[in-house]
Amino acid sequence: MAVPAALTEGQIYHRCPMDKLDFETTAALADLELPFGQDRMLRALEFGASIQASGFNLFVLGPSGAGKHKLVKQFLANHAAGKPVPSDWCHVFNFQQSDKPEAIRLPPGEGQALKSDMSGLANELKTAIPATFESEEYQARIQELQEEVTRRQQKGLSAIQEEASANNIAMLTTPAGFTFAPMRNGEVIEPEEYKKFSDKEKELVESKVEDLQKELQQAIQQVPRLRKEVRERIHELNEEMVQLTLGGPIGELREKWSHLPAVVAYLDAVREDVVEHAEAFQDNENGAPAGLLNRYRVNLLVDNADTRGAPVVYEDLPNHQHLTGQIEHRAHQGNLYTDFTLIRAGSLHRANGGYLILDARRILTQPMAWESLKRILFSGKIRIESLERLYGLATTVSQQPEPIPLNVKVVLLGDRMLYYLLSHYDPDFLDLFKVEADFEDDLDRDDKSYQLYARMIATMARSSAVKALDRAAVARLIEHASRLASDQKKLTAHDRVLKDLLAEADHWATASGSERIETCHIQQAIDEREYRASRIRERSLDQIRRGVMMIATDGEQAGQVNGLSVLQIGATRFGQPTRITATARPGKGQVVDIEREAKLGGPIHGKAVMILSRFLASRYAPMGELSLSASLAFEQSYGGVEGDSASVAETCVLLSAITGVPLKQSLAVTGSMNQLGEVQAVGGVNEKIEGFFNVCKQAGGVNGQGALLPASNVEHLMLNEEVRGAVRQGRFAIYPITRIDQAIELMTGMVAGERGADGNFPENSFNRRVAERLAEFTEIGKKRDADQGNGNGDKNGDSNVNG
Amino acid sequence: MATATLTADGQQPVKGSGRVLILLDGSGPSLAALQAAAEIAVTRNAEVLGIFVEEVNLLRSAGYGFAREVGGSSGLVRPLQIDVLESRTRMLAEQARCSLEQVMTSHGLVQALKLCRGRVVEEVLNLVGPEDLVVMGRVGWSGIPGARLGSTARVLVRQAPGDVLLWSEPHPRRQNRVVILLNHDQGANHRAVQVGAALARNNHQPLTVLIRADASGDQAVTGGLLAYLQGEGVGAAKVRWLPMGSAESVVRVIREEGATQLVVSRQSSLLAEQGADVLLIETNLPVTVTS
Repeated sequence: MAVPAALTEGQIYHRCPMDKLDFETTAALADLELPFGQDRMLRALEFGASIQASGFNLFVLGPSGAGKHKLVKQFLANHAAGKPVPSDWCHVFNFQQSDKPEAIRLPPGEGQALKSDMSGLANELKTAIPATFESEEYQARIQELQEEVTRRQQKGLSAIQEEASANNIAMLTTPAGFTFAPMRNGEVIEPEEYKKFSDKEKELVESKVEDLQKELQQAIQQVPRLRKEVRERIHELNEEMVQLTLGGPIGELREKWSHLPAVVAYLDAVREDVVEHAEAFQDNENGAPAGLLNRYRVNLLVDNADTRGAPVVYEDLPNHQHLTGQIEHRAHQGNLYTDFTLIRAGSLHRANGGYLILDARRILTQPMAWESLKRILFSGKIRIESLERLYGLATTVSQQPEPIPLNVKVVLLGDRMLYYLLSHYDPDFLDLFKVEADFEDDLDRDDKSYQLYARMIATMARSSAVKALDRAAVARLIEHASRLASDQKKLTAHDRVLKDLLAEADHWATASGSERIETCHIQQAIDEREYRASRIRERSLDQIRRGVMMIATDGEQAGQVNGLSVLQIGATRFGQPTRITATARPGKGQVVDIEREAKLGGPIHGKAVMILSRFLASRYAPMGELSLSASLAFEQSYGGVEGDSASVAETCVLLSAITGVPLKQSLAVTGSMNQLGEVQAVGGVNEKIEGFFNVCKQAGGVNGQGALLPASNVEHLMLNEEVRGAVRQGRFAIYPITRIDQAIELMTGMVAGERGADGNFPENSFNRRVAERLAEFTEIGKKRDADQGNGNGDKNGDSNVNG
Repeated sequence: MATATLTADGQQPVKGSGRVLILLDGSGPSLAALQAAAEIAVTRNAEVLGIFVEEVNLLRSAGYGFAREVGGSSGLVRPLQIDVLESRTRMLAEQARCSLEQVMTSHGLVQALKLCRGRVVEEVLNLVGPEDLVVMGRVGWSGIPGARLGSTARVLVRQAPGDVLLWSEPHPRRQNRVVILLNHDQGANHRAVQVGAALARNNHQPLTVLIRADASGDQAVTGGLLAYLQGEGVGAAKVRWLPMGSAESVVRVIREEGATQLVVSRQSSLLAEQGADVLLIETNLPVTVTS
């Protein structure tokens, strides 16, 4: 098999063609209204924002820092601008059920007018009604009523008094009532003298007194009825007077609001209530009680007077109260009071008729907020309930405002994991969030995209208020965007990273007194970032330099190879070589993965070792028994190993261990391998190669070292300038491999050899040596089995043939 | 007849001119009048004599075995016993004494209480002199709710030798005027004007003089009155002439004027006419009937 040629500088770095950038600085570029390369997401947004059917709320998913929030807000603002402004909503007092305030819908902007009208009416009531009650007319009529009652009472009593007088009986007033006694000449007769009366006279007097007492009793017992009658008549009079007083102002308001039947009905209810409470306006020296007048006020819950188009609301603290609104309380002398004027709108109220943007993670972390949002979206009504009532912790009487119909499009922003978890575990989720708007992480890098990406950078620079970038700086940024995407044919769409880089470059440009951001400032920003995050990487390199961590970068060694791994700590990724060793001896056809045995290896790594084990068996002992007991270990690795990117290296080192053929230590290997010996792509190739390069550099300079990587990974290479320089000068080589045999040939310098028609590998080929060595193992194995059968075998069964 | 005379210092009060006599029976209106009497006594620097009369007719009626009391509010009938009535009367007298002492002492006035047994009108007429002012509630213990003029008041207004003030709680009005009602063709107007002017001056109230006359207003009389009132220190005063109409029409005018106090002479033809009660009942104001 032919050994692949080392990659050229042009293959390991995709430069930005300057001729595609047709501007001097980004100041000359127009803003990009919508991002490019996000067509799928934009179509989903357009669809989700436009569709009217219920449940078609949106979930915009993408990594954090991708600029979801800004994009969605901007898109919805444009989309909503052409939509109608939604209604205003007011809460007013419910005169039938005082704890259930009514909701009134008003055309946008008319809420303030109603509020002001009702406030004016309340002020007018405060003065006009007491004035009515103070009027001479009212006083006179009240007096007439009272006098009529008094007259009727007195008439009854006077008649009794006259009857008594006519019968010579005195009607006397006592502190508690009345009494009767016989009299003569206007004076009560002395009881002693009365005794001298004849029995007949006494009988007459006493029976008359008794009659009079009965009559008086009846007359007095009429009094409550008379009083009730007068109360009713006074109430009627009050109503009449208040009706007349209110006729003007309420009539005007009825006329003004005749286009809204709900307001007219409310005004009628106000009039009836004022009439009913007319006495309250009358009795208080300081005017009507404030509590009474407050009933006629309007709580303007949603005011869309200044809203243009449909509202787009972002709730940055989406807890239950902020979403659904709340009922506040006022503390007064140690007690808490509330009424309908203390009902406060939530963001759902404000977004009603428009769009509500929420962060999925935040709403999920707020108690009951997610459940409340779902309940409201299902019911299509916003019902304000306090959290303590939802939990059943409070049973005090509170306000229960009339629910307000809801027509809102909720847009949740979150990362993909949340979306998939919610889809899986929350049965309501997909019923309510049917539109999935998936953010692209990376954008295609082709000839058309350069100018658009440059405009995106220009837009970003302007919105972040940083200096303009010159053409070369944009080109460098585009190249770095490819590096961030780890792909020569992609550009990162990660908004935050680019913005941060621009801000840092702007800082360095300012520090150097430059008017614009140039390539050197972009490069400085990249380097500085890398330097700030390099402490652990430097520590790791130091360990290798001092020999604490054993890595060889020259010479040859059997059963030992440089694998490449990537470490990710926080947002920092860096690569470093790891020594992989192998041992082999006759045995029962097993390859021991020491990492796995020690529970330091992950399942994917375990799978890769099993694949390589099967590869060995099928390639070198297709018809026979594989009598091999081998082991593989990542030396000085204590933190666990995962992934299959070392399987090419592991195969090489295992074969080296079997054959005793040494491997070049100047080459590091990465790549995954399948059971057929084909090399497959892996991740983090840039970091891995740069990591090995750095180790070589500090171990005495780069001279003849290199790395093997899957050919399918070549288009992911965006290596740094230092590596590119070494490649250019031929000091460092990067080989793209497609099959394991290519790796063997590069690592050993031997021909790998393909199985011939006779079923054997060619003489002196590497594979021939492997096959022969394995055959030896088989022979040894058979001999041992025979010895064991004769009872004189090696008890340990251990004869290391490695090396 | 007179059973006891109590004074603050335990000495006999000096019977003389210018006392304020207050009729007490323990009822609400009499206690309200007590406060008014104290204020008047302060402005006049006069002694106060409280009068509490045990009504002999009532005590007699309780002596009958068949005597019953019909409750003024409930209409319930229950036996009226002499010992219960006497103890109740004593309690009321004690209450009256306490109230009198408390109110007068707080005003720094010399006071005495006269306890009598007999008929109220006779006892008061025996005690009152021409210079004395009798202050009393419009009604006493009255079983008739809303009654505005009791029988005692009705008689004393006409028969007392001096001024009588029928007190009732004034309703606050916008103007708060003192109104004097005069007859153009009668004497004794001077006394009423004097009393009215004193009231207006002391209470800093405006004053209206209503003059009933057959003919239209006499400018000279008007001018004279205004000059006199100005001399008395009453700044805001006016004179209004009325035709000789009925008591009701006079009452209407009094209301129009926003009166809070009314002063009328006993010699006024209106008081002598049938309409006197109408005037006193309908106005429902503190009314001073001058001698």
